[in-house]
Amino acid sequence: MPEIKVTPLGAGQDVGRSCILVSIAGKNVMLDCGMHMGYNDDRRFPDFSYITQNGRLTDFLDCVIISHFHLDHCGALPYFSEMVGYDGPIYMTHPTKAICPILLEDYRKITVDKKGETNFFTSQMIKDCMKKVVAVHLHQTIQVDDELEIKAYYAGHVLGAAMFQIKVGSESVVYTGDYNMTPDRHLGAAWIDKCRPDLLISESTYATTIRDSKRCRERDFLKKVHESVERGGKVLIPVFALGRVVFATPGMLHAGQSLQIFRKWAGNEKNMVIMPGYCVQGTVGHKILSGQRKLEMEGRQILEVKMQVEYMSFSAHADAKGIMQLIRQAEPRSVLLVHGEAKKMEFLKQKIEQEFHVNCYMPANGETTTLFTSPNIPVDISLGLLKRESAIGNTPVNNDFPLSGTAILSFRLVSPEQALKELGLGEHQLRFTCRVHIQDPRKEHEMVLRVYNHLKGVLKDYSVQHLPDGSIMVESILIQATAQSEDQGTKVLLVSWTYQDEELGSYLTSLLKKGLPQTTA
Amino acid sequence: MLPCYGDALPLSLFLTFFYQKKTRCIMDRECSQLLPSVCAVLADSRQLVADDTFLEKFLDWFKTLTETESSLLLLQENPCLTELITCVLKLKDPSSSTLSFILRLTGIFAASESCFQYLQQRELLISLFGEVGPLSSALWEEASVRSGWVQGVHSMVQHQSALHFLCSCGAIDVIFTLQGDPSLFVASAANQLLVHVLTFSLQSFQTKPENIKDCDWPICAQKLIVHIEESLKSNSASRIKQSLKLLTSVFGCCHDLWTEVLWSRLSERIVYLLEEEPVHAGHSLVDLFLSMARSPVFSCPECSLWTSVTCALEHLNPAQVGRLAVGVLKLQECPQAVKIQALSVLLQPMDCVLKAASQPLEYPGLLNRSVNDSATVETLLSCRSSCASLLCQTLTHLEELQYLTCLPVDLPHIPLLQSVVTILQFCIGLATPASCLGNKISRILIGCFRVQRSALDILGALSHWESPSVFIGSVFDILLAYLKSPDTSPTVLKKSFQATLKWLVSLSEAPSSKDHWQQTEQFLRDLFLVLQKRLCSPYWEVRDSALEFLTLLVKHLREKEWFRQVLFSSEVPKLTEDLLEDPESYVRASAVTAMGQLSFLTHLISKKPGVENGNVKEKSIVAQLKEILSTDSEGFPRRAVISVFIDWLREGHPDVLKDTEQFVSSVLQAVNSDLDWEVKAGGLELAEVFSAQILGRLGLAACPYAAVLSSATRSTHLSESLQIFCQVKLFEFLFGALCDCDRPVAQKACDILIALKAELCDESSLKEGTSAGLSTEARGIAWLEETLRRWSSCAKPCPRGDADEAGSQDPNGVLLVLRTVDLEGLHRSLNRSSDHIEKSPQSLLQDILATVGTLEENEADCY
Repeated sequence: MPEIKVTPLGAGQDVGRSCILVSIAGKNVMLDCGMHMGYNDDRRFPDFSYITQNGRLTDFLDCVIISHFHLDHCGALPYFSEMVGYDGPIYMTHPTKAICPILLEDYRKITVDKKGETNFFTSQMIKDCMKKVVAVHLHQTIQVDDELEIKAYYAGHVLGAAMFQIKVGSESVVYTGDYNMTPDRHLGAAWIDKCRPDLLISESTYATTIRDSKRCRERDFLKKVHESVERGGKVLIPVFALGRVVFATPGMLHAGQSLQIFRKWAGNEKNMVIMPGYCVQGTVGHKILSGQRKLEMEGRQILEVKMQVEYMSFSAHADAKGIMQLIRQAEPRSVLLVHGEAKKMEFLKQKIEQEFHVNCYMPANGETTTLFTSPNIPVDISLGLLKRESAIGNTPVNNDFPLSGTAILSFRLVSPEQALKELGLGEHQLRFTCRVHIQDPRKEHEMVLRVYNHLKGVLKDYSVQHLPDGSIMVESILIQATAQSEDQGTKVLLVSWTYQDEELGSYLTSLLKKGLPQTTA
Repeated sequence: MLPCYGDALPLSLFLTFFYQKKTRCIMDRECSQLLPSVCAVLADSRQLVADDTFLEKFLDWFKTLTETESSLLLLQENPCLTELITCVLKLKDPSSSTLSFILRLTGIFAASESCFQYLQQRELLISLFGEVGPLSSALWEEASVRSGWVQGVHSMVQHQSALHFLCSCGAIDVIFTLQGDPSLFVASAANQLLVHVLTFSLQSFQTKPENIKDCDWPICAQKLIVHIEESLKSNSASRIKQSLKLLTSVFGCCHDLWTEVLWSRLSERIVYLLEEEPVHAGHSLVDLFLSMARSPVFSCPECSLWTSVTCALEHLNPAQVGRLAVGVLKLQECPQAVKIQALSVLLQPMDCVLKAASQPLEYPGLLNRSVNDSATVETLLSCRSSCASLLCQTLTHLEELQYLTCLPVDLPHIPLLQSVVTILQFCIGLATPASCLGNKISRILIGCFRVQRSALDILGALSHWESPSVFIGSVFDILLAYLKSPDTSPTVLKKSFQATLKWLVSLSEAPSSKDHWQQTEQFLRDLFLVLQKRLCSPYWEVRDSALEFLTLLVKHLREKEWFRQVLFSSEVPKLTEDLLEDPESYVRASAVTAMGQLSFLTHLISKKPGVENGNVKEKSIVAQLKEILSTDSEGFPRRAVISVFIDWLREGHPDVLKDTEQFVSSVLQAVNSDLDWEVKAGGLELAEVFSAQILGRLGLAACPYAAVLSSATRSTHLSESLQIFCQVKLFEFLFGALCDCDRPVAQKACDILIALKAELCDESSLKEGTSAGLSTEARGIAWLEETLRRWSSCAKPCPRGDADEAGSQDPNGVLLVLRTVDLEGLHRSLNRSSDHIEKSPQSLLQDILATVGTLEENEADCY
């Protein structure tokens, strides 16, 4: 039975580094390749050894898809492509490709600056990695190979953020990445068509939250800034390098300019710092958000934080309502939650299963969820059975109409001719044609004779005939000669063959393109 | 200028950071005082610690602590830790993360035997790791709890008591079950745990050679081996794979004699697995054989391992066997016959490709004999799903062989080269199929980027073999075809450039280079025509790769007259210069680097009579690069400029030599106001090179063969050097960088200043200073701050641009500052990570306490 397997290496019941392996109809895709901001050692990157144990990375993985430029979704990419050795295609949208290297550079700078790490990816590696990226447009279907295709949809989380549909044959998976269902001042709401995927992999950051309107938050924000400024204070807003309006970086007050300013302003109660996002442990941002007001600095100095500390999240994630809305929009056959906390996921999972009657999964990191996909088979139900079911009060509920009966399948094998007759169809013949130019000053019939002799010599096992009308037949392949009107020295051979003889046809064409041997008389 | 320092942070505060050194023992008094409250928080199921990185870092800390301190003492001095374990065990509904944490923490303590006994006496170990503990609770369903249990046991098994405990409490059977856990992480950890248990039990047991017989082995080891045997005999593919993985790790990490006994017991079963049709665990078997082949225990040519390897080379699927073959060829100790067989296996797909494109009489013959049934390889090559994958693997393995310092077998490199060229031809429809298989390959490979990339990699690697002209011609043809084709993807184009570079460099260095120069020159002409086009590509990736290629080409071939002639007869230099204004910063940076290389050649060309005087042009390049350094809004081009300038200074570029001091001064001035720390770090490197050159020029460099200068001469030279440094405002720059908020900048500046201090403030001059009453105490921080402020204000360009009036420094003042600042102390501070306080255990404990209950709103947030 066809199956889809999903294994999160990151983002399984956590909000750390997103990295999800999906296996669909024999194709393996990595969704996002993020890093964990909370660690400074090996744990910051997903453990790729679980992929490399299946042989060479590039042989195992068919492609990597990056949903957006945030580091918890792309921070491990240069490490993966330039240090672990993945050499295959990487897909992301155009804006993501443009912004990704800036954030990666920033991350590298902080790591090297803060830690003085040397065994880390370099600028050159970031560039080489970005050169491997294939940028895609929204709604453009990209053929990764003969069987695997992907398509990006608008996700509304940050500039360039996209949801991706991954499709192999009739099976498909949609990965949302981070998304937002409420339009913002500069970003629209996420949108996807009713693509009815076998599986929707959705983020669930705000799985149990219904967020207040953005306008309220903006009003509160401005009020706080005004109040502080009016009483003669200053306002510091540490932000991540990109994605929102830049005030001072870095966003977690862990180094650089924002920390310098914080140290200078912290002692004045008129001042205010507004933290617009989450801060990991091990940063000054984390300390002040958790209410610590006496911070130890270098040399056992104590910095007393008298300034006001506010937290106002402007991160653009779908809340519980938004997640349900997207599921309603895409109509998946099952849902898998990632990028959220276990307890909250559990709550949302139950809600989804109750409301949509689909299975909902929430694997932990390293756990594989396997889904068996069953193709739709339309059947004709007898009128008698339908009448009987309605007589006993069985009516459709939510498009489901459970019926029990006996399926009778009858298969017949008939000749193609009879099938055409029964279906009332005519036979179409597909022929390929090709023009081959041959340099030969001789007359047309002489040249044809040369061709005939040459083919007869080379294709000993085939039936090669010189027909009375001057053309040559090799099995079903027809070769005719015409003179090039403007150049008497060049003759054109028209080669035509049927679909069934495609191999021989293309072989003959390539043979003729090499020209005629000098010795053939 | 000291832009950030003056505005953002008082220097006094800055210097306080660096002056006061701090030593911190791992479990200091502050931590001991905080620990009980933290333990109370962790033991309280109502106070959830949402962020699991806390617990991970808490465990990291205890791992470090138990490595340096006595674990027992730690538990005795901090009874809250034992209470924590007891409390969590008593909780009716602990969270899975807390329980997992306690399992791991207890394991870390129990690694010490005395601590193990201590915990055992309190029945904590049996309650946590025995059948009545988490194993039988509903929380066992949580992967994190199972993972915590495995990790806890793994940490604990460091002594015999732990081993006995495992065997007696039924834990071994639990580990066997966990090998097949639905969580990859748990299954893998369980497998590693079994490896550890087996090797530990046998290593600690096997002290005498007579103990080698497996019947005498400890019960624990015997149980494990029976389990492995049973798994290998089972019909379950997953159980077979688990056992093979386990054996692979055992043979990989342990090279004791007992491993040979283990192999003799299992070899028959493993050979049986190989003979099955089809072989199910091919990849795992390859891993096992490679791990064994690398062990000295099995290296003897008579070892039965080689029979199994030979059998594997014959029986395994061509898609699986390549890795084994290349692994065998890399071995030092391996029977020659096995190596020859391994090479034949690797060459077989290439042989098939060559045959598929050659008429019988033309077929050059890659293999003397066929090892395997070529029909299997042909079937794989004619199938769309396997062809590209098999070829990519084969090409990559063959490429790996090219980099071996000593290839143990003769490689038929000419037919191999032909086969690689043929594959590349197939990929762009240039090869003529000569058989049905050829037709199929042709249709599958056309436009296949994966195969193109792998084939171009090995094509480049094959350049180090000497090849006859006719083959070089075919290599040039195919490279040009790829470089020219509009269908070539940017990634393939980059590989084409890399391969081209390798061939050109190899040919120019080969003893027979003169035989090929006409051919090479013609190729270069064609190449530059293509390169011109690629430099104008609408894709930045292509323009950038073309520039990178050009840079390397010039770097390697700039001594060759024929190369210079062809290069300057093309439009490439002009187009490169145009790309200095490319809209993409990556490309501008690469153009800067390329121009840096080209400018060396421009000089050589311009010296020749009849060639247009390049002097004016050259000046404009220096000016252009300086302009980029001061005005480009992106960091990459500015970093590239400073790198070029460092190279120019090192290599004595004619334009730099004209007036080195002026050049250095202007560059440092531009770098001083740059906000990019890497540009500044580059500027510091330039300053370092310059100061070394000045000191060296005046005979002050620390060269062991240099004539020893008299003290008077040395003193004169020192003051001369100091004068030059002051003129170019070197110290202003270095002290400014020392105050930079980016640590690597301050660190590098500090290193350079320490080195300069050693040269300039020698003992005698130090004495002078001290005798004059200029001690560090006398000239404290305030004085230094003032001095730097004064320098900073003087460094601002005055409206008339008169350098003298802008405050040239007093050499004595510089010496004074050098002597006064505690550079060594700063150096020690700067060596520490800038977030070392936030990362300290004390900070972690404070954070845990502060976070509880306050982050409810923020916890799930991210970007």
